[in-house]
Parts: sequence; C-alpha cells; structure tokens
Amino acid sequence: MPRAVQLPTPRPSIESLIKRLRIPKARQKELQAIMDEARARLAAEKQAAASDTVKQEEKLQNASAAD
Amino acid sequence: MPLPPIDPNAVFLNIPYDEEFQRLYLAYIVGIYQLRLVPLITSGIPGGERRLDRVLALIQSCRYSFHDLSRVEMSVALPATPRFNMPLELGLTITWAKLHPKRHTWFLWESTPHRLQKSMSDLNGTDPYIHSGTVEGVLSELRNAFVFRDAPPVENMLAAYRLVESNLERILSAAGTQNLYSASVFKDMCFVALNAARSNMDAPGI
Repeated sequence: MPRAVQLPTPRPSIESLIKRLRIPKARQKELQAIMDEARARLAAEKQAAASDTVKQEEKLQNASAAD
Repeated sequence: MPLPPIDPNAVFLNIPYDEEFQRLYLAYIVGIYQLRLVPLITSGIPGGERRLDRVLALIQSCRYSFHDLSRVEMSVALPATPRFNMPLELGLTITWAKLHPKRHTWFLWESTPHRLQKSMSDLNGTDPYIHSGTVEGVLSELRNAFVFRDAPPVENMLAAYRLVESNLERILSAAGTQNLYSASVFKDMCFVALNAARSNMDAPGI
C-alpha cells in the first residue's frame, strides 16, 4: 500500500470551503432546504426502523412468555 | 518564469466523465471534502487548442491529484477506441511532479489489483489505491491515503455520501440538467457535500 500523506491541522473550516465555491446566496438557500428535507426524511426512516425493531422484539418476548 | 501559485488543499480529479462512473465521482467529491480538501475537475474548461494548456494550469495549481484509471478501456460505441484522456493527464502530472516534487503529489486509483501493471507497465513500482469499483472502496482508500488528527471514520463518510446521493435527483432537476458533470451541478454537489460534512460533526453517523 502507498504511504499515507499526513495533512496539516487544523483543517480549513467548512464555512471557508463553502465561501470559495462562490454560490449565490439564493441558490445556497435552495440547496440548504433540500438538505434539511433529506435529513428530516432520513431521521424519520431511522426512527421508523428503530420502532419496528422494538415492536418485533416485544412480539418475540410475548411469544416466548406464552410458551 | 515564476512558478504558478499553488493551493495546498486542492485535489485535481482526473476521472472519466461517464454514466457508469457517477457513483464513484460522487464518492470522490464527498470523501475529499470529508478530509477538508477541495476537489477540482476539468468540467467547464472548453475544448479546443487551449484546453490542454488549461488542464495543465489546473494541475499546476493543485497540491495533489487523483488519477482514476479504472475505466481506461475500449469504448462500447463504434469504432471501439481506447480512452486516453486520463493517461494523458497523468503523464502531464508525472512530468510536473518530477520537475517540482515538493509542489505536487499524485495518487493512482484502480478497481482491480495488478490491472495497472498490465495497462501501464512503466508505472511498475507505483502502488495504486484499489477501490474495487465501489463507493466504500473509494472512501476507505481515501482514508488510507490521507491521515490527520480527528479524521472522520469511513462510517461517517458513507453516511454523508448517502445523504448527498439522496439529494441528487432534486439537484439535477433544479439545475435543469441530467449531466452530473456539468460545472453548475458540480458546484451544487460540492455545497451539499460540505453541508453533509457539517452534519457529521454535529451528529456522527447522521
């Protein structure tokens, strides 16, 4: 495997990297809104999956208690 | 003649601009930003005589370059033709780095071990990073290529990738194009990738 490069720290801030993209503020807002929606959707999916797991575990526990 | 200014965080991305490569292209952008480096591509550089000059200028301005040779192969469309842009730009880069070793470091990427020895035996002795044609492969090899304190784990990088990927359709539709490699979509993806990097800091694993 090639030798890894040690990057100097601190690394540039995310804000400074966004700034150098020079994206108009209006477009940044649109993209931000898309990201916020996607985050909310992913969080909801994650929560739904967690809740399904809990329900399944409860079902299994009830079944084994009935045995 | 004075040497051109160099961006210590810039990474020149020498990749194929085709449909099959889109997922890996996105993985490079997300992963590079996770390391707080800056990806630069040749999209937006017009064709013609001056194009090569501009490509060379871009390489010279970057501290690093990634050359993904995994799709150096014959085109499907007739007449079957090998794709030589990536090796050509790699050749330019190697020459530049030989002349100025402290100003530029280049990295090779392949999908399969030993393919490089077959396609470019002159590079024997240079180990490529092997991404196996997968997003996970690109991200984990990026973490192998660069180290720094508090570097994100691959798991977080993958979560950021998924977040960006889930927005692609909307970004393309808002930009009014289906071309992921267009200059405006590239910028949008960079913004979204940086935004995802911010989420990783706030909530590891998203």
